[in-house]
Amino acid sequence: MEEKKLQIIERLQKAFPEIKNTKIDYDYNRVDIVIAKEKIPAILFYLKDQMKFIHLVHITCVDWIEENKFELIFIVWSPEKKIKVFVKTFLDRNNPVMENIDMIWRQANTYERELKEMFGIEFEGLVAPKEFILEDWEDIPPMRKDFDTEAYAKKRFFERPGREDARDVRQTIAERTGEEIPEFAKKYSR
Amino acid sequence: MAREKLTTLYLGPQHPGITGNMMVRLKLKGDTIVSARTEVGYLHRGFEKLQEKRNWLQSFTLLCRFCVPEPDPVEEAYALAVENLEGREVPERAKYIRVLVLEMARIASYLLWYGGQSGSAGLYTVGQWSVGDRNYILDLFEDLTGGRVYHMFIWPGGVRRDLPKGFKDKAMKVMDYLEKRLDDYDTLLFDNAIFQKRAKGVGVINKEKAVEWGVVGPPLRGCGIKSDIRIDDPYEIYGELYEKGVFDVPAIEGGDVWARALVRRFEIRQSIKIIRYVLDNIPSGEFYNKIPNPHKWRLPKGDAYSRVEASRGEIGFFVASDGSIYPRRTHMRGAAYVHAVTLLENILVGENVADVSFIMNSLGTCPPEIER
Repeated sequence: MEEKKLQIIERLQKAFPEIKNTKIDYDYNRVDIVIAKEKIPAILFYLKDQMKFIHLVHITCVDWIEENKFELIFIVWSPEKKIKVFVKTFLDRNNPVMENIDMIWRQANTYERELKEMFGIEFEGLVAPKEFILEDWEDIPPMRKDFDTEAYAKKRFFERPGREDARDVRQTIAERTGEEIPEFAKKYSR
Repeated sequence: MAREKLTTLYLGPQHPGITGNMMVRLKLKGDTIVSARTEVGYLHRGFEKLQEKRNWLQSFTLLCRFCVPEPDPVEEAYALAVENLEGREVPERAKYIRVLVLEMARIASYLLWYGGQSGSAGLYTVGQWSVGDRNYILDLFEDLTGGRVYHMFIWPGGVRRDLPKGFKDKAMKVMDYLEKRLDDYDTLLFDNAIFQKRAKGVGVINKEKAVEWGVVGPPLRGCGIKSDIRIDDPYEIYGELYEKGVFDVPAIEGGDVWARALVRRFEIRQSIKIIRYVLDNIPSGEFYNKIPNPHKWRLPKGDAYSRVEASRGEIGFFVASDGSIYPRRTHMRGAAYVHAVTLLENILVGENVADVSFIMNSLGTCPPEIER
């Protein structure tokens, strides 16, 4: 397996001398490469067309807010070689623009729609309806690390009156309506 | 020629034929589908964001809600990813118990699928039988894990509990019963002329393009391609079991609903074989490799991706750690993420509107996987 992985890296480096980092010791059948974002469509097409990595497993993104970067990860799998390749790239967090790859794998369209909505990554030439999961979203993209879930919830929703005192709900109802609390429920009421 | 008017039909989110809370917007010419568009967003609960605020173990209360009919493979995928990231070993006995749980979950899920698939063809008796039979599996789960539907049983380092006393006999009895019972399902469903006529040649997936389009699991095996994560990228003891010939992976040519149904029919029998083998050959020893205090448990910086074969297909979990007690990012890849969006939109074109829920069921659509 080790040899196979080194062969893959060698071949990729020959075709793409720009490949920066490579790593093979994460997992027994995993190869990692890091490359500039401009080369992503080319290397993915090369992997699919020339090296038989035909199955697109996953596209995901990690927000490294301290370094002001998005890490974009494409995972491809070859059923013949039984190896998965992680193609990684880093995007500028202030201007995350990327070329879309749904002409290589059309299911990439779904992943890109989600990443656009959740991280605000702009995929150039992506043809898709405006909304995927979220509806009428006006805040910053929610999966970014600087999105404050609690502050958003406080701004967007309100606390239901009658619940702020954490009292037994039967007591509140009884006071409001003048009904009596049933006998069996009295021992639970505070 | 006068332009023919197209009808727009919104199928779902409240429609008995749709497998959960999602919508398919159809453009119809007569009752033939001209275009289809999947619309989701009715079920988004932000699990991945919530996980970022929970430590590595607290996520398990959320994980089983990713796909309700079959929660165990998701737990397994996450546990594998965490173990992979940390380099933690799992005891041999725990691996056997995990396989037992996963195969029981697979049978339970397929029995539920029997109900959905036959119900969408108008054969309601099958569903009533199979949901009844599924209850025996749920009883086993209750014995083993304490819960019927949500188990939270597989966790990093092993499993939560050992097998209870008398579990083997009880499980063997249920397997014997199910095996006999499966013949009844053959008579009732697979020999049924209505089902055969509706299923054959409907919802065909192109074999040459299947892998490229991201088709996984039973739909891919229904195209005649022998592909299964259990043998391609083996986890736990599946590689070993496959080499020993304990189970086989059925692949049936056709690519239509009928082929996919047959794949599932054969797989239940394979799962029963695995469960019998595991119960007979389970080694003794520890079932849990203790993790440190979860509130202080830090994982090394890096990322991991692990995948398992669920009843719907490949399920994967991506986790990234920044060295703190919380995950930096988790992301799940469900089979339905591809099946119910790009694939469904494409294979529905040209089909009859009455077959939409039939095809959706055969793909094993599970909307909570799409939006999480």
